Amino acid sequence: MNNKIKTIVTALAFAASGTAFAADSIKVGLSGPYTGGSSPMGISMRDGVRLAASEINAKGGILGRKIELIERDDQADNPRGVQVAQELINKERVVATLGYINTGVSLASQRFYQEAKIPVLNNVATGSIVTKQFLPPEFADNYVFRTSANDSIQSALIVKEAIDTHKFTKVAILADSTNYGQLGREDLEKALAVKNIKPVAVEKFNIKDVDMTAQLLKAKEAGAQAILTYAIGPELAQIANGMEKLGWKVPMMGSWTLSMGNFIDNAGKNGEGARMPQTFIQEPNTPKRKAFITAYQKAYNPANGRIPSPVSAAQGYDSMYILAAAIKQAGTTDGVKVREALENLNEKIEGVVTTYNRPYTHDDHEAITINMVVMGKVQDGHVVYANEADKGIAVREKAIVKAKK
Amino acid sequence: MEIFVQLIVSGIALGMIYAVIAFGYQLTFATSSTLNFGQGEALMLGALVGLSLVSHMSYWLMIPLVLLFGALQGVFVERVGVLPALKTKSEFGWIMTTISLAIIFKNVAENIWGHDDLTFPSPLPTSPMQFFGIRVLPMEILVVLGALAIMLAVEIFNRKSIYGKAVVATSNDRDAAGLMGINTGMVITFSYALSSMTAAFAGVLVAPLTLTGATMGVVLGLKAFAVAIIGGLNSGMGVIVGGLILGIAETTTGYYISTGYKDVPGLLLLLLVLAIKPAGMFGKSVIKKV
Repeated sequence: MNNKIKTIVTALAFAASGTAFAADSIKVGLSGPYTGGSSPMGISMRDGVRLAASEINAKGGILGRKIELIERDDQADNPRGVQVAQELINKERVVATLGYINTGVSLASQRFYQEAKIPVLNNVATGSIVTKQFLPPEFADNYVFRTSANDSIQSALIVKEAIDTHKFTKVAILADSTNYGQLGREDLEKALAVKNIKPVAVEKFNIKDVDMTAQLLKAKEAGAQAILTYAIGPELAQIANGMEKLGWKVPMMGSWTLSMGNFIDNAGKNGEGARMPQTFIQEPNTPKRKAFITAYQKAYNPANGRIPSPVSAAQGYDSMYILAAAIKQAGTTDGVKVREALENLNEKIEGVVTTYNRPYTHDDHEAITINMVVMGKVQDGHVVYANEADKGIAVREKAIVKAKK
Repeated sequence: MEIFVQLIVSGIALGMIYAVIAFGYQLTFATSSTLNFGQGEALMLGALVGLSLVSHMSYWLMIPLVLLFGALQGVFVERVGVLPALKTKSEFGWIMTTISLAIIFKNVAENIWGHDDLTFPSPLPTSPMQFFGIRVLPMEILVVLGALAIMLAVEIFNRKSIYGKAVVATSNDRDAAGLMGINTGMVITFSYALSSMTAAFAGVLVAPLTLTGATMGVVLGLKAFAVAIIGGLNSGMGVIVGGLILGIAETTTGYYISTGYKDVPGLLLLLLVLAIKPAGMFGKSVIKKV
């Protein structure tokens, strides 16, 4: 009894002393939507990060300290994301933050990290400008990094699939009215312009819209041979179901969100064959991927063994390892030093998506290049490789020469 | 022409969804001059409860249970949220209480059914039927018929049965009805039960067409509110016409003008109605004697 009281008192004393106690662990912020339409991505990302953090902690942590994840739900809401950023920076005093599923939230929140000189690794958000908000000469150093395939890459691949592989000449774009959808639509239009093609219809819809008749009829009347999409799962399912209703079936190709569980389940047979760029497909074709998939299934037991959003989980997992390697190399948790380490990583990191060999430089904060991304397609409720040939070439490292600007 | 008719048909299906939710707003407004701003959430709860039940029984058997659930939910809202405000003669207390109850319901639903949108198995074939080149889903026809049926049922009940007459009397003049020996408090509770019941019914009707999830009611509830204002908060005919106008305006504007502006005409109409005839297109303006 006496001992118990003593422990409580000690614990209280520790809690009161605050920062002294916190120094024992390395605090890493985690910001993502764990509720709402984007939640399959947010939750998969969080689980991927948790998995990596627990593996690292099991091996003794970094710099002899354990990683402590400070998880916050940004609800895919821009103002909420800003609040979370401020809380993580000023109250929790995180070393770095991982996360951001939604481009809008990311764009609204990360200037606080930039100002506080704390690195932030976007592991899912794809908007092309996410890593380009703070560029020299205005900002000497950029604290925003990314481990996902940005929209320039995605739209180029979508257009390549539609125009080069399928030889379509008339395509319609359907995008939602969020930052994500509209920035993606711009990228798609740019990628089409490179091939001298103008979309026959460009339509918009809102989150939670239940009727896509007008949008689809316009695309149909314009003679579209394929629908290119930039939206998230539930509304994508409404598009697929709307096509069935109108008795008009053309291929659906779009950003990686066509791999979301809530698209596949809600579209059912109408979603079969939809194609999208993917950095990771739940297929154990490398030892690392096999280990990751098994560990994920064991830890979180997803329905039918299907990770809700495999891409988010893999990118989340990898982002934690990249950050851990950078903190280790920096030998400190100082934000500036960690950023410098990220930009000059000596260690080769074997990740799920790829093996990261110098993923970042001072001027290049994108870990993923176009050669790492493959096309996936929906088949029997799962995302599989669209081209069987891609399955063999499992690990593709970062292309050395990158198209700049 | 074919496209125009297709747009109208889709607009009607959409509009009837709005109408049946708007009808729920009317029911409580008639008796107590209060509204349940959680109408969209009542719809969402009905749909989710229906989804849980439907795995154990047939769709048709599930409906009466959902109606019962909806009625109980309505009573709960009235007792917890509205009655205290009415008792204290608070003019606007019920606005905040019904809104906060709505948020609580949404959070509870998220905890029980999760955050994701779920698929509601369709009781009818999911492939569309063709009439002269116009394609309609069987479920859309069911929505239109079901919405009309529940509104008709409530209207007949109000006109023919003795309990219904108590409701009508209370709507006409609550004080006089009270003096005539009608327990107006009970009638108001009852109107809330009816109101949430229709919303829950609308929920299981639209769920196979839309997706089912904790946030499904937010947009629908708001649009239905616009319909109730356009049509008039005391006109049964008004909500049907209002719903159809909004639904058809959405689909046709989307096609002929731009899908980016599809919500604009309906809301412009709302502004117009409020400016010219605040009681609604079919509403009776009441002269308030002070």
